[in-house]
Amino acid sequence: MSVPVPFGQYVPGSSPVHGLEARVKIGVTAVFTVALFAMETWMGLAGAAIAVVAVVAVSSVPPRLVLRGIRPIAWLMVFTVLANALTWGGTGVRWHAGPLGVSEEGLMRGVFFAVRIVILVAGTSLVTLTTSPVDLTDALSRLMWPLSVMGFPADDAAMMLTIALRFIPTTAEEAERIVIAQTARGARFDLGGPVRRARAWVPVLVPLFVRLFRRADDLAIAMESRCYTGVGRTHLRVSSLRPVDWMVLVAGVALAIGGGMYL
Amino acid sequence: MREERIRLIVEVALSVALAAVLGMFKLTLPWNFAGGSVSLSMLPLIVISLRRGLAPGIVAGLTFGVIDYLLEPYFVHPVQVVLDYPVAFAACGLAALARPRRSGVLAITEIGSSALGGAILAGAGRLAASFVSGVVFFSANAPEGQPVWLYSLLYNASYLAPSVIACGVAAAVVVPALDRAVPISRVSLP
Repeated sequence: MSVPVPFGQYVPGSSPVHGLEARVKIGVTAVFTVALFAMETWMGLAGAAIAVVAVVAVSSVPPRLVLRGIRPIAWLMVFTVLANALTWGGTGVRWHAGPLGVSEEGLMRGVFFAVRIVILVAGTSLVTLTTSPVDLTDALSRLMWPLSVMGFPADDAAMMLTIALRFIPTTAEEAERIVIAQTARGARFDLGGPVRRARAWVPVLVPLFVRLFRRADDLAIAMESRCYTGVGRTHLRVSSLRPVDWMVLVAGVALAIGGGMYL
Repeated sequence: MREERIRLIVEVALSVALAAVLGMFKLTLPWNFAGGSVSLSMLPLIVISLRRGLAPGIVAGLTFGVIDYLLEPYFVHPVQVVLDYPVAFAACGLAALARPRRSGVLAITEIGSSALGGAILAGAGRLAASFVSGVVFFSANAPEGQPVWLYSLLYNASYLAPSVIACGVAAAVVVPALDRAVPISRVSLP
């Protein structure tokens, strides 16, 4: 039971894509995804695919890592193509076996949707591949400020995101320690049927929760003694938008909107 | 009082971290080709909801939804992302509605029914969000006239039902042990 550290999908690098401010990447990707769903022509998809390939090339992220995100959705694409292509007793089918037929128009529509999913997955995975979880969390925290106007505790939520992300490896190590300790006391996690195996985890879950919530006590006292109030928090490293970030943001959003409207 | 509020924030955050760790140990069923798996990732969200109430439970779910997306993004439609991650896990906060009405020493049946009820409410909330997400996705990618609601309901229930049972049983064991070992003074998020 071990968690790889660093976890997540981030591929460290020094490319121009890595160097872009995380908020710019999130913003451009958000507009890009909406534009992709507005596109109705193969020309539009071709333009989006070229844009994604160009960004992958500039980012120096190995293409196999980008394509790795597509593997889990392979069945989804097969379903999409089949759901559109297959007809039952319909007219205008190109090929048929009994009442089951394949519509050429449906097939093309299914392939169009499947290609759109591939571009979408590749495009959105670029954000997590080129931005560290810490930078992404920081960016999301800063993008949450409009919610505080509505009374949402945005500062607290940002702090929760930061602590949660920071403590995932620590919690995984804690879990591993408890598993080893219980194994040393004779616990077996690989014997019997599903119910017996599930019951074997109870002596792990209870101490895990108890230790974690005790740690919460210690951490809260540490934060309190360092004068954390949740309001007006400052950062050691403050990331700001440079001229190149603004240029990429404006160009990316303009291209995506143009593509979504006219292609 | 301020220390209690900070403690609440930290408890929620560490619950999210634990949910992320438990979510890494998952069983993906052969037919769950479009995401979704059986895991205990909902357990810490149910526990924090039963322990601290509705608002902390919802905030924990929202936070976990964001973290889960950052760690393992599955993006096939913009609406699907919002519904499958922050909204679906925020709905796990509904477990708080099953909190026991009275405090003090509770009978084992009260603890069990509260934990199981919480898990069922959390599962139902998450199912509702994932169901709508599935309808949106299948509607966008399947021809008109197909029973997309049925696809979505069966698909999402197939992995959520075992997760709910596992989380309910585990919560019935964890919640009373946690309340005994680390008691709380009841506070709420502002």
